[in-house]
Amino acid sequence: MPGVRLEGLTKRYGDVAAVDGLDLHVQPGELVSLLGPSGCGKTTTLRLVAGFLRPEAGEIHVGERCLSSVTAVVPPERRRMAMIFQSYALWPHMTVAQNVGYGLRFRAGTSKADRQARVTEMLRVVQLAGYESRYPGELSGGQQQRVAVARALVVEPEILLLDEPLSNLDANLREEMRFEIRRLHETFGITTLYVTHDQAEAMVISDRVAVLHRGRVAQVGSAEDLFQRPRTRFVAEFVGRTNLLDGVAAAADVVARGSLRLRVAAGGFAPGSDVVLSIRPHQIELLAPDGSAPAGHNVLDGTVERVSYLGDALDYQIRVSGSDVVLRVTAPPPARCHPGERARVAVAPESCVPLSGAQEE
Amino acid sequence: MDRSLPVWVLAAVALVVLMALPLGWLAYVSVSGVEGATLAHYRRVFTDPPLQKALWNTVVLAFWVGLASLLLGAPMAWLTARTDLPGTRLIRGLILASFVTPPFLGAFAWVMLAGPNAGLLNKIYRSLTGADEPLVNVFSMPGLIFVVSIYTFPYVFIMIANTLELIASDLEEAASILGAGRLRVALTVTLPMVLPAIASGFILAVLQALALFGSPAILALPAGFHTITTQIWAMFQYPPKVEMAAAFSVPLFLATALLLLLQKRLLGRRGYATVGGKGGQRRRLPLGPWRWPALAGCLAVMACSIFLPYAILAKAAAARAWAQPLTLDNLTLGNLALTFGHDGTRAAIWNTLELGVMTACVGAGLAALLAYTANRRLIPGHQFLAFLTLAPVAIPGIVLAVALFVAYTRPPLMLYGSLWILFVAYLTKELPVGYSQSDATFKGIHPELEEAGRILGAGRLRVLAEITAPLARSGIIATWCFVFIGVIRELSASIILFTPNTKVLSVVIFDLKEEGQFGAIAVLGIFMLAMTFAVVVAMQKLLGRDFVSVKE
Repeated sequence: MPGVRLEGLTKRYGDVAAVDGLDLHVQPGELVSLLGPSGCGKTTTLRLVAGFLRPEAGEIHVGERCLSSVTAVVPPERRRMAMIFQSYALWPHMTVAQNVGYGLRFRAGTSKADRQARVTEMLRVVQLAGYESRYPGELSGGQQQRVAVARALVVEPEILLLDEPLSNLDANLREEMRFEIRRLHETFGITTLYVTHDQAEAMVISDRVAVLHRGRVAQVGSAEDLFQRPRTRFVAEFVGRTNLLDGVAAAADVVARGSLRLRVAAGGFAPGSDVVLSIRPHQIELLAPDGSAPAGHNVLDGTVERVSYLGDALDYQIRVSGSDVVLRVTAPPPARCHPGERARVAVAPESCVPLSGAQEE
Repeated sequence: MDRSLPVWVLAAVALVVLMALPLGWLAYVSVSGVEGATLAHYRRVFTDPPLQKALWNTVVLAFWVGLASLLLGAPMAWLTARTDLPGTRLIRGLILASFVTPPFLGAFAWVMLAGPNAGLLNKIYRSLTGADEPLVNVFSMPGLIFVVSIYTFPYVFIMIANTLELIASDLEEAASILGAGRLRVALTVTLPMVLPAIASGFILAVLQALALFGSPAILALPAGFHTITTQIWAMFQYPPKVEMAAAFSVPLFLATALLLLLQKRLLGRRGYATVGGKGGQRRRLPLGPWRWPALAGCLAVMACSIFLPYAILAKAAAARAWAQPLTLDNLTLGNLALTFGHDGTRAAIWNTLELGVMTACVGAGLAALLAYTANRRLIPGHQFLAFLTLAPVAIPGIVLAVALFVAYTRPPLMLYGSLWILFVAYLTKELPVGYSQSDATFKGIHPELEEAGRILGAGRLRVLAEITAPLARSGIIATWCFVFIGVIRELSASIILFTPNTKVLSVVIFDLKEEGQFGAIAVLGIFMLAMTFAVVVAMQKLLGRDFVSVKE
């Protein structure tokens, strides 16, 4: 089972670089998501890996094989990969069995009987036993999705590529299929690249998530890494909701904005330098107006501007006294204070995460 | 690297040769004199009084045909698309029938209907009123305009009806709810959205009238006047003045190209794209007491373009003397026997069928390859393929024929005198239609369907054969039908390029006019119509909708 290495990968459309010097290493058997907003280059990256596109710079290696470079691109049919498309791309003129069995015809040494057996077995795995002679047009969206999955897995590819495979399903089915795909990955252990713009999907499915921004990898790590320790402003904002606070380092571990002072655990700033902090709304603790916080926490006083009821949580907007900062705070119901009232919040220094790239928009 | 590359490159090269060779020669010959380059031919075209007159006649004809087509096509489009007019399916079917009726057959029919002496309508008029003068004379400019218009208005109809079909009623209702009355909605919402279609339908009709050869030749020549196309044809009669014909062709070509450009701009700016919204419901306006008069009006138009001409053709085919009443002893099968018994006619029918099948096969194949190459961006310069393939739209058939005559009566390709030159002419002429059809077909096939095959291990050509071709099949067969219909009725290029051994059906029909053999003309005309309708019906079945409709 080989891994995948993307090195300095670049693809331009006209003057625009869709992928711009992208580096990414995927370990053998690992499932890595490419996560990002539309236009970040994630689908282009996937199509480069599949060999549908030729890079302008950089290389793609699978195991010891170099599949794409500026000078040579191995065509898709000789890459030993499989791909699941956003549209599923099931051939409407072929039955389910013919769709699933198609790729096996190009795997040397599989007899017809052998192929049939493997198709039947794979359809059983995706819970579509008995659907062999149906046409794709006669299946529901979820069933079509399973056929697409079966067609990709039955050839036992070295690498599996998925391009937003769940985006055409309704919400409930989507959630179900997330676990299904994760289960299949754990069963087959194929090295997988998974493109999505849905962070929840990426977090549930992947071993690691690579957040793409402007054709580069902004950060790659486990879901927890990205959430707890975002490294850039873009990652902090894109993965989950957050409070961003632009300030100036007053000391090695203190950030100031106006009269506001915050102690930061991961300090080491040069005094006077610009710092951006990310504080997750649920890591801010709402206290009584005269309540006290654990020792060492930053304590801030302010006024409640707005409270929104979200069912399983309440979303508060609190203006910090003596500054222009409005913090969003998430806390479980019931409501503890109301608009216009005074409020006090506490933030642990560990929850104030400094970001790099303060100047990046 | 990619083994399939030569296929695409070859198709593109074939296209370039097909287009560039004749047009290049046409331009060259039009400026070549005995002593090198000269503009003398052009000078004559624009100064010689008879030629000037022909130019002017063409302008008059084209303008009035455009206007008349608009006046016929637009109301009928609105009636069938947006009101509760009874029998809309029938009307649509009849309009399609007149769309595929060769205009020169219609012209022959109208000679029998409205010729000044023997014309049926005039005879009835005389016997009713006792007058000596004919009621109408089809051998005149108004007569020509009338006959051309009743076969050209379907272009306008299709453009406007298809646009109206796409305008969802909620766009109009959005205006109503904001307080606009019915008339105001029509003027401020509906009309502006259909305006590009109206303008471009007008231009399309003008283009048809510009390029037409058959009807002017049948109706204008006996009346003693020329249009550009008949004038070009006359220049090819002995002794041929090819340079003059070439010089005369160039203005026609430029006018056509200019009008097409205008049409493209009109449609491009706010054409169908903004009209979208297939989900929207279209509510039909109740006509109330006007339903039946409206239907009668539509049927009257169809009587002129279908019922009367078809009836007189049928009568002429079955009668010994077409102008006499159809009594028992005037009935005969003789026309049938005479027509199909004639060796020359039989040869022409075979030539036509051979050319139709050959052109349709090669044309559909080439169009499919080119459309596929352009759609999947397989070669550098693919952007120009569509432009080049569609370019012949701007070349009237007779101009194309002149160009081909000039190009292929000299080395390296001496095709004149064989069926091949007709084949090349038809192929070039039908390529735009074929390309548009194929293009729509391939646009409807998601590229991911092919990519799914590639990534699973199939090469490009195998994917093309096993996945793309089966999915494109009905579209390609429809293309085949389109090309076939176009070929078997082609007259304006054939009339220049045929030789005694390479006559085709349309040319035989045209020649029979000289001999006044209306019985044979009618038999062959009906034969041609029967072939056409058989193919149209087959195509309808295949596509599950009529072939010019926008909706499934």
